[in-house]
Amino acid sequence: MDLTRILQVLFSGLIIGGIYALIAVGLNMIYGTMRLLNIAHGEVIMLGAYVTFWLYTLYGISPLVSVVAVMGLSAALGALICRWIFFPVISTSKSVAVLESNSLLIFYGLSIIFTNISSLLWTTDARGYSYLTEVVHVLGVPLMKNRLWALGLSFFVCVFFYVLLQKTMLGKAIRALIQDKDASLLVGVNPDAIYYFSFSMSFALAGLAGCLLSMFYEMTPFMGMPYTITAFIVIVLGGLGNVLGSLLGGILLGLVETVGVSLTSPGWRPILSYALFILIIVLRPRGIFGKGVY
Amino acid sequence: MVSRRGLVTGPFGIALLVLALLPRWTSDYHVSVVLDVLMWVAVTESWIILSGYTGYISLGHSAFFGLGAYIMAMTWPQLPFLLGIVLAGVLSSVFALTIGLVVFRVRGPYFVILTLGLTEFILHVVVNLEIKLGGTVGRILMSAPSLATLYYAMLATAAAAVVTAYVVKNSRFGAGLFSLKEDEKAASALGVNTTLQKWAAYGISAFFPGVVGAIMALRHSYIDPYNAFDPMVSFQVIVMAFLGGMEEVEGAVVGAVLLTLVSEALWASYPYYYMIILGVIMIVTVKFMPLGLVAPFKGRLLARAADGSGAGA
Repeated sequence: MDLTRILQVLFSGLIIGGIYALIAVGLNMIYGTMRLLNIAHGEVIMLGAYVTFWLYTLYGISPLVSVVAVMGLSAALGALICRWIFFPVISTSKSVAVLESNSLLIFYGLSIIFTNISSLLWTTDARGYSYLTEVVHVLGVPLMKNRLWALGLSFFVCVFFYVLLQKTMLGKAIRALIQDKDASLLVGVNPDAIYYFSFSMSFALAGLAGCLLSMFYEMTPFMGMPYTITAFIVIVLGGLGNVLGSLLGGILLGLVETVGVSLTSPGWRPILSYALFILIIVLRPRGIFGKGVY
Repeated sequence: MVSRRGLVTGPFGIALLVLALLPRWTSDYHVSVVLDVLMWVAVTESWIILSGYTGYISLGHSAFFGLGAYIMAMTWPQLPFLLGIVLAGVLSSVFALTIGLVVFRVRGPYFVILTLGLTEFILHVVVNLEIKLGGTVGRILMSAPSLATLYYAMLATAAAAVVTAYVVKNSRFGAGLFSLKEDEKAASALGVNTTLQKWAAYGISAFFPGVVGAIMALRHSYIDPYNAFDPMVSFQVIVMAFLGGMEEVEGAVVGAVLLTLVSEALWASYPYYYMIILGVIMIVTVKFMPLGLVAPFKGRLLARAADGSGAGA
């Protein structure tokens, strides 16, 4: 492999890795703060992709503009689901174990509902559009502009989140709640506010990821599940409840996947990621970083 | 007065008799609807043996269904029908016992997503193998047995699944499984061999979807990895089990019958609406009646039976 080829693989890895990081951070925030595992996360990505597609093909709105609307809508959906479904379930569940299994089943139901609503609205045929497909050369590597935008936006949001979690009061409250709920209540953290924030942020990030992905991949109502699984792989890599681990894990998985596929063939991609997932969950259920990176 | 045993075996025997005579009375269409109901009864009962009793929720029962279907596709028509379906069940159990050595190392949400991930993994492996071996993805099964043969095979499987779920629930083994759900550490401290029990329950549970998958492969006479390992199979089973009550042997039957009838009415013309309804039922059940439909009625019925025998004595 020559240098250009290596750089090209690295770039693709970073582009997809940045998006994985967005998806995984969102999924992990809800799990970390509320112990709810959202298996409908991929379906939110799918909805974000379709809304972007609609806004672009029907009204000609640039995906880079509609990203704001998509994030807002997703956040609102997240807050509604949190309010109408999960607050009651949290208050009636007797133990964490019951809450975990009940929430999984509810999210499972939501994922089925979203998938089938999309099948009704947009049919099951693959949809797509082309936007910003001009090629520019970065370090001699030909890249489409839309991918560069995706790379820039996802890394910007990742850095933003890193700063938010590490430096602000809100971030500290979130991390405190993840580490020790009772202790964080004692020092005055308002859990309900953080639950709302986690839900809407998580959904907004998934919507953002869908918006970015729609610029260069075709979409179907069934596209969500592989992303949910990928996000699980990432959060297991980085540790369940460990939000910063997810940021690193996402980028790492993106690189591993692209390098793996460039050495084998695209048909192997799902097999490689599922195999990695099974290995990690069985061998290192606490994540490769363990408890170190909070 | 009716004993508790009579309350259970009486209706079961009558139902079995009616179902056995059904093909003499009705059209092929009705027989095939009942065949579908029986299929879901069998798979749902097998699911509750593992997930309902122990609380280890499996999102991966479609893996065993698909495995059974593929074993049938590879052995039909070289092996006789009965041998083929038994082999499908046994190999599916063996497979569960093998992966069971690994999957029970984790619990809670890890277990749930691991079962989901494993099923997807198997699906993609089968897709790639099929392309490599055959060049195409689907397989056609020629000269399948008659509808009546398939129907009786499915009836026997469903009946066996109901009996197994019942026997397990009322045995010492079943008590051990329920104790896992309550408190696994305490159970293990009291001398329940938790690892062995989960493992055995997984093996038993995988047998029935394997058999059912084999029968359904012949019923549809065509399979490909996407319909054999359809994750919707796992999903429908969970909704059925929850609707009826995930710890109830009768609940699985009630859930399977109700939802198959809804599906019969909607699936062909409005598949998306049917799935949306399933999703809504799932959420509503978990939120408002976590015990399912059957448990409240059953409690009342048993209480009345106990009252009656008390008054008679």
